[in-house]
Amino acid sequence: MSQVCVLVEHRQGEIQEISYEMIGKGRQLAEALGTECYAIVLGADARGIIEKVASYVPGVYSIEDPQLAEYNAPAYQAAMSALIQEKRPQLVLIGHTASGMEFAPRLSAELRWPLASDCIDLAVNEGCVEATRKMYSDKVNARIDFKAAPHCLATIRAGSFSSELAPAHTAEVITVASPLTTEISARRFVRLLASEVGDVDITQADLLLSVGRGLGGPEYLPEVEALAKQLGAAVSCSRPVVDKNWLPKERQVGTSGKKVKPKVYIALGISGAFQHVAGMKNAGTIIAINKDPKAPIFGIADYGIVGDMFEIMPALSKILTSA
Amino acid sequence: MDIIVCVKRVPETAEADIIIDSSGKDIQTDHLAFGINEWDDYAVEEAVRIKEAHGGTVTVVSLGNAEVQPVLRRTLAMGADEALLLNDPVFTGGDSYAIAKTLHAALKDKKFDLLLTGVQAGDDGYGQVGPMLGELFQLPSASMVTRIEVADEKITVTRELEGGMGENCELTLPSVLSIQTGINEPRYVSIMGLRKAKSKTLSEVGADALPISGDDLGASGALTEVASLYLPPVEKTAEMLEGDTETVSAKMMDILKKKGVVG
Amino acid sequence: MLSAYHLASTTYWGIPGFCIAWLLFLTAVGLFGMLIWRRYLLIRAGQPDPRFHDIPKRVKDLIVYGLVQKRQPRYLVSGAIHLMIFWGFVVLSIRTIDLVTQGLQLPVMVPLLSSGFGTLYEIAKDLFELLVLVACVGAAFYRAIRRPDRYQGSHSMDAYLILSMISALMVTDILFEGSVYLADGAGPSPAWLPAAGLAGALLSGMETSSLLTLQGVTYWVHLVILYVFLNLLPLGKHFHVITALPNVFLKKTQKGSLKPARWGVEDFETLESLGAEKLEDLTWKHLLDLVTCTECGRCSDNCPAHAVGRPLSPKMLTLHLRAHAYDRYPVLPSDKNSSEGKEPPKMVGDIVTPDELWSCTTCGACEEECPVFIEYIDKIVDMRRHLIESAQNPNTFNPVLMSLERNFNPLGKPNVKRADWLNEVGEIPPVKRLKAGDTVDVLYFVDSFPSFDPGFQPIAGSLVRGLAAAGVDFGILGPLEKDSGHQVRRMGEEGLFQLLMEENMETLEQINFNRIVTTDPHAFNTLKNDYPGTLKVVHYSEFFWELLQAGHLKPIKAVASGDVYTYHDPCYLGRHNGIYDSPRGILSVIPGITSVDMARCRDRSFCCGGADITLWHEIPNEKRRMASMRVEMAMAAGATVLVTACPFCQLHFEDAIKTDGLEDRIRVVDLMTLLVSTLS
Repeated sequence: MSQVCVLVEHRQGEIQEISYEMIGKGRQLAEALGTECYAIVLGADARGIIEKVASYVPGVYSIEDPQLAEYNAPAYQAAMSALIQEKRPQLVLIGHTASGMEFAPRLSAELRWPLASDCIDLAVNEGCVEATRKMYSDKVNARIDFKAAPHCLATIRAGSFSSELAPAHTAEVITVASPLTTEISARRFVRLLASEVGDVDITQADLLLSVGRGLGGPEYLPEVEALAKQLGAAVSCSRPVVDKNWLPKERQVGTSGKKVKPKVYIALGISGAFQHVAGMKNAGTIIAINKDPKAPIFGIADYGIVGDMFEIMPALSKILTSA
Repeated sequence: MDIIVCVKRVPETAEADIIIDSSGKDIQTDHLAFGINEWDDYAVEEAVRIKEAHGGTVTVVSLGNAEVQPVLRRTLAMGADEALLLNDPVFTGGDSYAIAKTLHAALKDKKFDLLLTGVQAGDDGYGQVGPMLGELFQLPSASMVTRIEVADEKITVTRELEGGMGENCELTLPSVLSIQTGINEPRYVSIMGLRKAKSKTLSEVGADALPISGDDLGASGALTEVASLYLPPVEKTAEMLEGDTETVSAKMMDILKKKGVVG
Repeated sequence: MLSAYHLASTTYWGIPGFCIAWLLFLTAVGLFGMLIWRRYLLIRAGQPDPRFHDIPKRVKDLIVYGLVQKRQPRYLVSGAIHLMIFWGFVVLSIRTIDLVTQGLQLPVMVPLLSSGFGTLYEIAKDLFELLVLVACVGAAFYRAIRRPDRYQGSHSMDAYLILSMISALMVTDILFEGSVYLADGAGPSPAWLPAAGLAGALLSGMETSSLLTLQGVTYWVHLVILYVFLNLLPLGKHFHVITALPNVFLKKTQKGSLKPARWGVEDFETLESLGAEKLEDLTWKHLLDLVTCTECGRCSDNCPAHAVGRPLSPKMLTLHLRAHAYDRYPVLPSDKNSSEGKEPPKMVGDIVTPDELWSCTTCGACEEECPVFIEYIDKIVDMRRHLIESAQNPNTFNPVLMSLERNFNPLGKPNVKRADWLNEVGEIPPVKRLKAGDTVDVLYFVDSFPSFDPGFQPIAGSLVRGLAAAGVDFGILGPLEKDSGHQVRRMGEEGLFQLLMEENMETLEQINFNRIVTTDPHAFNTLKNDYPGTLKVVHYSEFFWELLQAGHLKPIKAVASGDVYTYHDPCYLGRHNGIYDSPRGILSVIPGITSVDMARCRDRSFCCGGADITLWHEIPNEKRRMASMRVEMAMAAGATVLVTACPFCQLHFEDAIKTDGLEDRIRVVDLMTLLVSTLS
């Protein structure tokens, strides 16, 4: 029985969203392949995590070991290697995350199982799994062929699939013996670094709430900052805002400021001059809110709202408060 | 500290029109501008900075044809000491695994303390070669590295995690690191500087000189292959969210949730 | 002419007067010679710089700017004072030689001064002594009471000392003359000698013996002051008394151009290093500039960077460099031990900071104003070259420079899309895309920003409409065109500029055209002044003014009434290339237009912020945007429409108007777009 396995990614007791996305996709693929989708949970004490996924998969493979208490690439690789060599799944899905992108290629080279990384889709074609991924500034889709390998690996780009799952199972939990008999010394986890709150580094933020001239005055900043806090976003801006000393220079996005690459960039009242656009065009998704339907920012945005930022902001805040 | 940096020459595609070639498995490149992969630029800069602070050498390695030479020249001008180009038609057509195997074969007799790659390449973006090299060399590796602190016999690196978080971990030397953009500000090398670097060594090696079987090279050594390329339906003009304030706000919130930036 | 020959034969403490005169003379001249030698050693340390071509033009400029001092009256009060003192010096030099040679018992001036010229000269000399005295007092008062900002950081004590010495020279000579008249029994001096007459009146009633003593004292004191004065000149700002005329004679003859990496070196790759890192990397003429500065501060007074609070003052740049030069080339062999163990300061880094260098917009206001033609842009760019070569440039430049190298434009766009703007500017007549071997009358050089930036593209569109309306046979190069290189050259990336220039020249040589027309004054400037050979380049403002004058175009549609237009002179059209009238000509024939000039217009135009560094680097401490100040000046002139002939000016002004919330009061329009709007 050659399963589809999904590695459940978790940090500080919380399951990362991408795990559910992969389980959803894994279940579809398993059905197409006539097999089942099992979850893999690694940890020092995996029970809490297993409980959270138990209703979504028919089975959970788990390895518990003190060296898996925190993510550490060599430990994860060793555990995954032992587990999948024993269970020999047809397909293993791993998040294309800071951790997955580290050990999945090593696993592939170690086992000589082909790996398609950063996939946005997977499909079964004549009994074979085929991956789809983006290339060339995400402008081209590539179908990746695993050359009929019996076992393959894929890392999945976050946000590719829906994470909303219907509970359908009560998982059978299968504990696999930890292969970590000796202490790993080549690489050691030291500490997690929380995202900095005070000194905002806009180049590191996943979500940027960026204000432009449309802000109107420094007196409106607290409203923007309050919304940013609710959203978990950092506040950045275009040059005129810095010119007027409403925000410090470190917050400026653009040719004479910083280049940013957040997952989502929300442009509030920014017209979209080239100096600004050059600093943010590589953002994953750009949402622009501007009163002027002809503002150039709409030319590069993925989503646009023609409207007053001061009407949209309270509405967003309300949704967040009520959630 | 002796450092090896693996770099790749890639086309600039962010602003360009992409045309798929007649094979259907690659893109046309004659109208594209090429340069060093952005991530690799940071890796070279980091290597040169470590050398400047701690002494040692920097060797830059790439795989490709003679067109890669200007890219390597630039890294020499940035401060690398020598460059090695693995140039043989049989190297082409491979996936990350075949490339990693080739690089491993070329470098396995070289002594180094650090082997750096970029996290990924701007063209195909697999992000696999760095960690695979770690595996092939049986050395510890780390990816998404945004800071390196060098101490005796070990290094402490900062890795970039999701959601603005980071992680510190310690690795013994030698080790393999995949460098994330933003770790430094790569220097600009002037045209004059480029020409001055002409005197530095840039050697080329073909498949014959490498201790590796031909079956492991190029397409035959690959574990995966590109079956086809296609252009996804264009969706780049902004999708306008319509409706009253409450409606558009709700729609926007859904997008934020879908992109995983809001819980 | 009254003489002091008897003083030469008088004995003082047993020593004949002429011996003392010779002793003083030889000491003074010897010391002066030594000082000049020391200064020469400094100048000699500089790099080569060809300054002896174009001699007729140099002679003409020497007369206009050196002798007539045309630039002095740009500052009326101090200009008038300076002219009085300068011409006083010229006139009185004969008197000085006469007085000196009298003491030396060398009657070389006697034949001249006993001729008819002598009488005339006597009057002139007398008048100028008074004039100079008045001017010195005036200058001192101006400096002490008016205290113009431009004197901040100048050596004022130095100025007062020199003014006092000049005054003392005048007073001693006047008293000497008066006493000689009285003592000789010639009675009060003639009425047409007001100074001597005044002295005569003052001294009348004095004993003859006292008069003789006074004669002796004033003569010897005059001589001593003269010699001290002479030897003070090379030590301070008054060295310009000696170097200003040579500096004017040796001035740069081609405005708008930049000096090459090294004069006399064809291939810059053969150079050890590129750019000015240390003092000796400057050319000898630029070192001469340093010693010539009069500290008048007119440069900084007109510098837009200085006006907005950037850390650049052209005057202080020169003064700091001069102090550094004098430290490195002291007049007295320096006490080496005192500076031992200390790192000598670096010219670029310690003496001149990178931010100072990046502050400059190369607008040329300083150079336009300098009475002695000190060059700033070449020095600043030369020092920027060093910053670029040593990777000390702002990081924000890196992607720009990389893009120019890879894509031949600074915007990171694929150059294959260079003609795509044709599809972005609405309905336009078909445009010929030129290729090697083609023949065309006018080659329209669009350059990067008008090709790629959506804010600039409409101007290119207007140009195409205008050219087509006038029936001009024209074409563009499309992807064959590369960035003109104006920006990179001024940013200091000389190698990249050379690369772009070579690429463009190769293309241009393969196309037969009569003239090049540009959108942008910067592209115009670089093609005209930086590129080799004799490209016939015109900016669109010149080109269309010609078409209008020849009747090939006729503006018929009047502009809306109620607006007041004012034209802003772009630096690279006006100051750097002297084009002030063509754009105003175009404005003048637009039906229904009312236009005014701003207080600062033509060669005193105020830079918008510039077309290079400003786009990619933020200068700390800037209090205001230059464009914001300029818009204010336009409004002060009563304008409601600010007309530009440069896309970058338009960009900055539009930004400033929006930032300052002045959309209801003033707007910006490009001259070409304005003209085209009146055609049909």
